Amino acid sequence: MLKNYLKIAWKVLLRRRFFTFISLFGISFTLMVLMVVTSLFDHVFGPQMPEREMNRLLFVNIMRKQLDNGHTQSGPPSYHFLNRHVRTLETPENVSVNSVFVTVNSYVNNRKLALDLKFTDQAFWEILDFNFLEGRAFGQQETDNASRVAVINQSTRDKYFGSGEAVGQTIEVDQVKYRVIGVVEDVPVLRLHSYADVWVPVTLRSKDFNKADLNGEYFATIKARQSADIPKIKEEYAQMMHQVELSHPEKGIKLYSFPDSVLESFARNFLGNGRENKTAFLYGILALVAFLFMLLPAINLVNINISRILERSSEIGVRKAFGASSATIIGQFLIENIFLTLLGGLLGFVLSALVLELINDSGLITYADLSLNLRVFGWGLLLCLVFGLLSGVYPAFKMSRLQPVEALKGGTK
Amino acid sequence: MIRHLFKLIWNRKKSNFLLITEIFFSFMVLFAVLSFVFYNYCNYTKPLGFDHQDVWQLTLRTNSDSTAQNRLIQEQLLQRVKSFDEVEHVSLSNSNVPFAFSMMTNSLSYGSNKEVQANVYDVQDDFKDVMKLQLQQGRWFGPQDDASRHRPIVINLMLKQKLFGEEEAIGKLIPINDSTNYTVIGVMDYYRAYSEFNAEEPAFFSRINLQQNEHALWSSLLIRVKPGTGVAFEEKMVRELSRIAQNWTLEVTTLEKMRKSKARLTLVPMIALGLVCGFLIFNVALGLFGVLWHNINRRHSEIGLRRALGASSAQIYRQFIGEVLVLATFGLLLGVVFAIQLPLLEVMQVESVVYISALFAAVGLIYLLTALCAFYPSRQAAAIQPAVALHEE
Repeated sequence: MLKNYLKIAWKVLLRRRFFTFISLFGISFTLMVLMVVTSLFDHVFGPQMPEREMNRLLFVNIMRKQLDNGHTQSGPPSYHFLNRHVRTLETPENVSVNSVFVTVNSYVNNRKLALDLKFTDQAFWEILDFNFLEGRAFGQQETDNASRVAVINQSTRDKYFGSGEAVGQTIEVDQVKYRVIGVVEDVPVLRLHSYADVWVPVTLRSKDFNKADLNGEYFATIKARQSADIPKIKEEYAQMMHQVELSHPEKGIKLYSFPDSVLESFARNFLGNGRENKTAFLYGILALVAFLFMLLPAINLVNINISRILERSSEIGVRKAFGASSATIIGQFLIENIFLTLLGGLLGFVLSALVLELINDSGLITYADLSLNLRVFGWGLLLCLVFGLLSGVYPAFKMSRLQPVEALKGGTK
Repeated sequence: MIRHLFKLIWNRKKSNFLLITEIFFSFMVLFAVLSFVFYNYCNYTKPLGFDHQDVWQLTLRTNSDSTAQNRLIQEQLLQRVKSFDEVEHVSLSNSNVPFAFSMMTNSLSYGSNKEVQANVYDVQDDFKDVMKLQLQQGRWFGPQDDASRHRPIVINLMLKQKLFGEEEAIGKLIPINDSTNYTVIGVMDYYRAYSEFNAEEPAFFSRINLQQNEHALWSSLLIRVKPGTGVAFEEKMVRELSRIAQNWTLEVTTLEKMRKSKARLTLVPMIALGLVCGFLIFNVALGLFGVLWHNINRRHSEIGLRRALGASSAQIYRQFIGEVLVLATFGLLLGVVFAIQLPLLEVMQVESVVYISALFAAVGLIYLLTALCAFYPSRQAAAIQPAVALHEE
């Protein structure tokens, strides 16, 4: 049965080439745009090198203080706070405290390199999964001794040393000389918690360690033993925050800081005023925007489908006269339409691969490495089905209500 | 004739309903995108109020806690930068230099105008020459302000308008707290520092008095260099300054570079939106073309009859183009009713002229588009021979 439907659909597509072209053009471009957006979304929030095990990772990036008089202060937490209260949490497997990256200058052969420098501890390299091209990360001993060693990324190596081997050479960043001990693949700038051009031991900034203020310039990356531990970590964190709030010398102060996944922290900071968890709300907004975007092409497709199906009223008449129910007719047209959207989706994939390549090459997003992967493919497939249903239901329904007598005469009003 | 066309469309409103909704949505999309583009373009064409060529920003970040020592180093840095031959003018500033991402606002009240939010820029006397500002009235800061009882400020035209209206602004006192006041000593024309695509906002400059504020630190140094000064000098300058300010992080960037990255933040979404919108509209146009073609083909007998009764082919042609335009009018009427709410309700503080021009442009584009789509099918309809058409029946 299905095979017959598909055969019919194929023949119909070939019969009216112009209409087929219009439909496929609309479908493939709509899906292309959606897939490019999905891929961007995945790039920012999905698992990517070096944050591969996203379901086991949590990030702390904001500490918000609210005083009695309504005055608020928010920014990254301090080393002191993270070291004393977050690193000592019991549920996580490992906790890394690392600095917010700072842009510093480096000069090579009369050329300036603006490099992003990040101070990290040794746990950073254990938790995250970098692709090392040369050398290794710095270990416990180098961190403890505050050795002047650096891990750099591929682009920095190529710009600073040319294409040769970098390990063992010296790089001068912000007037300080470091010995290069490792080279990693570029990390996209959108991976705020891991991104940098040059990573050096956090102990080089030991001046910051004893500032008792809650706000500073540090992030924490937390790794859970297994993804089921995530709620437990959040709970322990909340209890810890409550203790910190109680023992704070200023009375009536309210503190807000949460271990979040990248998406949760984005939703919390932009939609939840840094306090409430608005992830569901964010998904709602995204779904609404996607729906609105699909609406216009869908109406267009409905229009074309109606014109197309009208031509086949005699076929419907015959089928109805021989006893096909409305449901069967609806089913047939829906399958035909989904077949068409999947075809368009396939084209859309090819187009979006091209567009993503274009975005990567344009350097619009530093070190972007956008690509289509299985997750994006899955989302794309889902979008195709939604789009196919959205644009196929109404024409199919309309056609299924044709009276056989009128349909056989070929007239519809 | 036109009334007749309206009647024709109205009688088939059910089958035309989808076409009308499609035109309605296309109009809304076009209107939204055009408003966005016009708004940015409108701002872009206005004067910035300063010249950012050959101006560098030196960011100063200290890693030490000792205020007295930091302050000493800051003053040494300032003196050293001034002494370079390649440097023309230098001024300390907060991090809200032109095209930076940081903003600082303060609310001012004068008489019945309460709590006017204005951008505040802390600058030194040389800032006027660094940024080449134009003054309209009064004067810029000078050494004579050292002994001033009130804190001198220079305001832009927009803030003058908001605070004083048509009144003279020079010499007016604006209270900061119970004991101190700002005194307006000058009015400058424009200062749109945040981005080329942002609208002018109320702004004022407040004078940095190094003698009075003994503990304050400023995080940026704006430097106007001689034209043609390049990265070689930059490296030399940073090396020398790092010797003075050990343990400080010094970072140099040009305002031109900052302008470009700021512009990209507006241009990239605008181009992406434009492309997506263009594709949507093109898609709709193709669909409209297909449907019109199909519809007209189904009305052969009607056309044949009209032709047989003496209608000329030009009349048939006009009828079909007219029908499509009437169809578009229905969709547009609906759209305009929604769109006109924006300037009427003054949503988002955007000048009405932006909305109105976007509205007209969108209406014009939709008419043009539908007329183009109807052109070929209508010509086909006009070419039908009555004998052939009637014979088909």
